[in-house]
Amino acid sequence: MDLRMVRKIKGYIMLFLSTIAALIGVALLFAILYKVIMAGIDGLSLNLFIKDEAPAFLQEAGGLRHAFAGQLLLTAVASLIGIPIGILGGIYLSEYAHNSKIGRFLSSLADVSISIPTIIIGTFIYSILVRPVGHFNGWAGSVALAVILVPIVMRTTEESLKLIPWQLREAALALGTPFYKVIKDIVIKSALTGIFTGVSLAVARIAGETAPLLFTSFSKNTLSFDMNEPVASLTVSIFTYASSAFESWVSLAWAAALVITVFLLITNIILKQIMKRRSY
Amino acid sequence: MKESFKTLKVKENILKYSAIISAFFILVIIAGIILSLLIQSKDAISKFGFIDFIFSTSWDYGEEIFGAGRALLGSILTALIAILIAAPMGVGMAVFIVEICPKFLKGFISSSIELLAAIPSIIYGMWGLFIFAPFIENTLQKWASTTLAELPIIGSFFQINYAGGIGLLTSGIVLSIMIVPFIASIAREALMRVPKELKESCYGLGTEKWEAIRDVSLPYAKTAIWGGIIIALGRALGETMAIAYIIGNMNLPLTSIFDSYVTVTSVLVNEFNEADGMQLSSLYYMALLLFILNFLTLIAAKLYVARRS
Amino acid sequence: MSENIVEKEIEVKNLSFYYGEKEAVKNVTLNIEKNKITALIGPSGCGKTTLLRCFNRMHDLYKGNKYTGEIIFKNMNILDKNIDMTKLRTDIGMVFQKPTPFPMSIFDNVAYGLRLKGIKNKTELHNRIEHVLKKSALWDEVADRLSASAMGLSGGQQQRLCLARTLAPEPDVVLFDEPTSALDPISTKKIEELMHELRGSITMLIVTHNMQQAARISDRTAFMYMGELVEEDATDIMFTNPKKQMTEEYITGKFG
Repeated sequence: MDLRMVRKIKGYIMLFLSTIAALIGVALLFAILYKVIMAGIDGLSLNLFIKDEAPAFLQEAGGLRHAFAGQLLLTAVASLIGIPIGILGGIYLSEYAHNSKIGRFLSSLADVSISIPTIIIGTFIYSILVRPVGHFNGWAGSVALAVILVPIVMRTTEESLKLIPWQLREAALALGTPFYKVIKDIVIKSALTGIFTGVSLAVARIAGETAPLLFTSFSKNTLSFDMNEPVASLTVSIFTYASSAFESWVSLAWAAALVITVFLLITNIILKQIMKRRSY
Repeated sequence: MKESFKTLKVKENILKYSAIISAFFILVIIAGIILSLLIQSKDAISKFGFIDFIFSTSWDYGEEIFGAGRALLGSILTALIAILIAAPMGVGMAVFIVEICPKFLKGFISSSIELLAAIPSIIYGMWGLFIFAPFIENTLQKWASTTLAELPIIGSFFQINYAGGIGLLTSGIVLSIMIVPFIASIAREALMRVPKELKESCYGLGTEKWEAIRDVSLPYAKTAIWGGIIIALGRALGETMAIAYIIGNMNLPLTSIFDSYVTVTSVLVNEFNEADGMQLSSLYYMALLLFILNFLTLIAAKLYVARRS
Repeated sequence: MSENIVEKEIEVKNLSFYYGEKEAVKNVTLNIEKNKITALIGPSGCGKTTLLRCFNRMHDLYKGNKYTGEIIFKNMNILDKNIDMTKLRTDIGMVFQKPTPFPMSIFDNVAYGLRLKGIKNKTELHNRIEHVLKKSALWDEVADRLSASAMGLSGGQQQRLCLARTLAPEPDVVLFDEPTSALDPISTKKIEELMHELRGSITMLIVTHNMQQAARISDRTAFMYMGELVEEDATDIMFTNPKKQMTEEYITGKFG
């Protein structure tokens, strides 16, 4: 065989392997999705959303209303705490500290914070908000989620703002606009789509978190909106139900898994489409 | 009325200082984590020291002697297995998307791979436990038990000692699925930045497509890709919920890559809420070590990329 | 105002400007005549844009910059630390190289500077906006879609909108930083005509690398090289009979 042939075949093998890798990736997504749908569809009923936990030995159909409500509550409070801090921090990094050493340092630190294991954030919040109080509580859960949220929102805001041309800021300043108004009226407004999608993706991420909630908001088997008490969450419920011995609970866990997975995937698809179409 | 100079200054300062305080919140979080983990683990630190703790495999509730040896090894091994699989896969995916994929399929394939990252960790855990582990048991383990396990000397590394398909290797594989989208997207972006002229001049010399990728595109994108791989390693080290389901949680000596084992995160999930005293302090010590390991990995990635570009 | 009485709008005295350590404008002394058009020309990197951006302290946006010397405007040194920057920039407007429409409606773009000045009355806003849009030769094109986004306008329209936005608060001086370099010839001609019409009521400074443009529209021309002001004079003299040999060489295209 001549050398050219060998080179060609070698090339085809490598390109073939790349193709296989990509196809495996796609296949995995659909395999996981298929299994989650198949396993979850049986437990999917109105009861899931309107009934609270029923003791498994009673053979009575229960639901996860308390867990859905708790998850929404925890995520909403975390967003209320984390989004403003994240956006303001992003504004500092992009507008006040651009190209400065301290700005680059904080930006890198935020980048690193994004990858801190979330369970460690759980142990940290446990030591400052659960132990001193003496019991698990919703605030601790939301704060733990907010701590995860802040660096993501900060970096995504910074990146969105940096896409706005500097000349636009200069043009606003040249009209005699005070700098805070330049940021508020011109820069933020131009970058709104980017910030909105970035922040929403970040919220979607914390909405699927389990590890930071285990040691903070823990779990509860009834509907409750008292943030000073333990609060139920869908993810923690899935964790306990899925590893329980009761078939009805495992089936509920799969149904909840189906709801949360489909919700997150659709949210991601929509947001990424918006992200692709934005002007800045 | 035109705003007075003074109220303007006040408004200006409100935004500026709230922005500064918010940005420094990052520093507060990191300092808070380090400080609280240090304080909570000080009993364990003073009792076991550093070297003894990280190498000790004891986990004795009665005698209150704890060591992080197995958990640390488990975390590192699962992360390494995951990287060994995910790095070539992720780069392969990126090569396919950038260089081979027909245009009409590009969006679909790259979004599908990206969406793997949107699935929550706990779902990977359930899927891993109920579907993937039995699959591994029926395929890979069945095959290995009749071939690899029969080999002299190294055969025992492939012995099947636990049923159900869960264990170290299965955890590593599931972990690799979770981190592969990240590597793929970093590699894809890096490959897309390769200047067209560079590739064209390479084709101009009569190279094959793969040779151009190997000799021009991949070297050009190398720094970013390696940076992404190191970050992915850091993330794999801290992955929790999926591992908690499928590692098996066996605090016993590791003899085979199919064995059930422990990781720092799986021990935390299983013991943290019921622990107290020296055990809790030891768990915090473990968490601190994992945090440091993870932090150093990520900083290494940052420095590597910054230095090279 | 009679042609031969020269009234100074801005006096530049021994102005130097530093980016960090680098001296980008070197000891420039120059008078800008009131209600005339002064062109700043010179090869790229000569400091003409840097000089222009001193007049509205645009450099203050970035750290590590330093001015020495004085720029006297309305009997005040505008390089003074305590100057009210907002007021200064209302008096000295600027039009940029690329159009910079804000992400809002056409109306709101032009109203932006007026609202900053405290004008809130709807009728007054509307009247003044109509006035400047007419002055900027844009009224006919946008009258029926004032509430449409400014981003939808063409490049040339956007630049005229930016000019209207700059003119709305009635500045005494307008700085132009290569305002037509991103535009097609027809749009360029429109902007030049507008500048021509404004002469006599507003002082204008224009940085341009287009020698024909400088010759066509300006009353006075200043030639800069390596951060220094080489020569400044009436435009017809500069283009026909410059005193310095370097000026002649640049204008005739021997370097640049």
